[in-house]
Amino acid sequence: MKRFVRWLSILALTVLAGALLLAISSLPPAPVKLAGEVAANLAVSGVSHPVTAVLLNFRGYDTFLEVAVLIIALLGMLAAGLPPPPPTGSRNAMLPTLARLAVPLMVLAAVYLLWAGAFRPGGAFQAAAVLAAAAVLLHLAEIQGPWPDNARGPRLAIAGGFLLFLAIAAALLVNGGLLRYPPEQAGLNIVLIESGLSVSLAVNLAAFFLLRAPKS
Amino acid sequence: MNLILDPLAWLILLPLLWATLAFVATDRYGPRLAIAGLVGQLLCAAMLAQDVASHGSIGHLAGGWAEPLGIRLFADGLSAVMLLLTQGVALALVLYARSYFSQATPPAFWTLTGFLIAGMNALFLSGDLFNLYVTLELVGLAAVGLVAAGGGAAQIAAALRYLLATLVGSGAYLFGVALIYGSYGTVSASLLGQLINAEAPIAVWLAAGLMLTGLLLKTALFPFHFWLPPAHGGAPAPVSALLSALVVKASFYLFLRLWLGPFAALTEAQPWLAQLPAALGASAILWGSWQAIRADRLKVLIAYSTVAQIGYLFLIFPLFGTGALALQAGILQVTAHGLAKAAMFIAAGTLIKVSGSERVLGVAGAAVHLPVTLFAFALAGVSLMGLPPSGGFLAKWLLIDAALDQGHEWIAGIAIAGGLLAGIYVFRVLRLAFRVTIADDEAAPLRPAAVLEWTALALAAASILLGLFAMPLINLLAGVTR
Repeated sequence: MKRFVRWLSILALTVLAGALLLAISSLPPAPVKLAGEVAANLAVSGVSHPVTAVLLNFRGYDTFLEVAVLIIALLGMLAAGLPPPPPTGSRNAMLPTLARLAVPLMVLAAVYLLWAGAFRPGGAFQAAAVLAAAAVLLHLAEIQGPWPDNARGPRLAIAGGFLLFLAIAAALLVNGGLLRYPPEQAGLNIVLIESGLSVSLAVNLAAFFLLRAPKS
Repeated sequence: MNLILDPLAWLILLPLLWATLAFVATDRYGPRLAIAGLVGQLLCAAMLAQDVASHGSIGHLAGGWAEPLGIRLFADGLSAVMLLLTQGVALALVLYARSYFSQATPPAFWTLTGFLIAGMNALFLSGDLFNLYVTLELVGLAAVGLVAAGGGAAQIAAALRYLLATLVGSGAYLFGVALIYGSYGTVSASLLGQLINAEAPIAVWLAAGLMLTGLLLKTALFPFHFWLPPAHGGAPAPVSALLSALVVKASFYLFLRLWLGPFAALTEAQPWLAQLPAALGASAILWGSWQAIRADRLKVLIAYSTVAQIGYLFLIFPLFGTGALALQAGILQVTAHGLAKAAMFIAAGTLIKVSGSERVLGVAGAAVHLPVTLFAFALAGVSLMGLPPSGGFLAKWLLIDAALDQGHEWIAGIAIAGGLLAGIYVFRVLRLAFRVTIADDEAAPLRPAAVLEWTALALAAASILLGLFAMPLINLLAGVTR
């Protein structure tokens, strides 16, 4: 029975893959040209990089909800119970020295990525990834200890950027829509949101490594 | 109208706000935040329903950008009913949970509940296929977290199985969205309706298949129900109630929207397709009821009853031919089942808390110890069986009416058979509850807090009264355009 099911699923997936290949190879040209729409409205979006314009302005509402998804992912880990702390004492003596050298550069790189997002690839998510990596490095070098489950600081940092995003979304309702920036202030709003998110997302990502159950 | 008090926007912002505040406070003020937030949300939902009743459909351009560049949120009668149901049931469940978890709340319970409700509200208000995917992830991940919260190995295993099912479901959905974007260059549901009507390459048929199948997996329609009984049966009672009453309805809602909206051109071109969900729905009713009749544990019995009751929702698909009758029957069933199932799960939670036994046999004597809770359980059962004057009765009546009208006698037959089967598993519990145990020197069991009993009764009573006062709801749904 189990073998039969396995062969049946393999067959079904092969048929699906074949159908997908066939369908994708015969796609007609898309009737809606979204790239053109983005280019036409880029001038009033507040930034000059089209990806940032889509993520933070045209479809900023998607990004808003995605930040909540990241918080929920962390909550899932908290709900299921935190993993125990890793064993200590076997570290390489080089690591702390290296971490002390690398982390300031990583922070600098993160600030650059955040700033560059307005006109070239970069932005809050990339900056946050670098910052989170810096925190993990400090943790591995045992310069930064684990965070307890109920630590207020990390929670405040994670919530802060999201609450700022939420406050801006709500305040802009006066213009008649969630996150509806006035064109002349769009750039300022985006910088504010992205700065907040860089910190929030960095702590959120780092928390997957640094939140650990207390040693028993 | 004051723009900043737009009820549509606040239905999404309010739960996100109180969930985040509860997160910062490590859930300390969770109950108070949740109750205050949900009262506000219920007001917003009522205001929105009022607006929809007088203006028809209401749109909201997020970011102020029109489609296809931006995301358009919208509310019509269908969204309004789902929103009212969600806020109403969630408020009762939150009141129940506050007392139920008075000793030890599972970690992150209040925060996850807030994000779950935010996700559902955002889903009911979205008109953009990719944005809908984000809302599906919000709902799915928050629900998995709630199942895992504070549980032992069995509960974590159920949560993981649920996680895999829900990820495969939303993965299939996302794959479909990508194919659609590749074919048309837009993900706006309203624009896609006309575009698919004009031309439908093979990719769109595949996309529709992937998206709808993914949603069936998330809705736990037979034979995709395998993850539901362990997840809903193993979680704490307030969580089971949230999942069974509301969460599975969210993916059903999206299935229905896609069927009637963007994919209407496909389903009308091949009318036989509508028989597929109906056939699965009929199997779900028979299989779910049979498993509920045989179940050993009380909450597993109720979870299998959910498997069966979901089946009814899919019987409406071949019946969309004439007017709004089928839609009204389906959404009335969503509402009646949502109220009744929430009542039944929390009543079961109280019964289990008091008796200390998870087994169906544990309810013996409940008629003496817990008359209010048992009465709530019985009233909810009346609605599930579809006896007059309950909401469940009205839903089945409309369904049978639509089925006979369209010459689908078999659907009417299945609906009646399902009611009889529901009678068997409900009376199985009630018969035991009236069996008086011979107490030799047993002390009377602890009395539960009053709020545990009365919230269940209020929800159950609402599912009955729905049958008598359904006209506003039916009128709201009559205005839903396809």
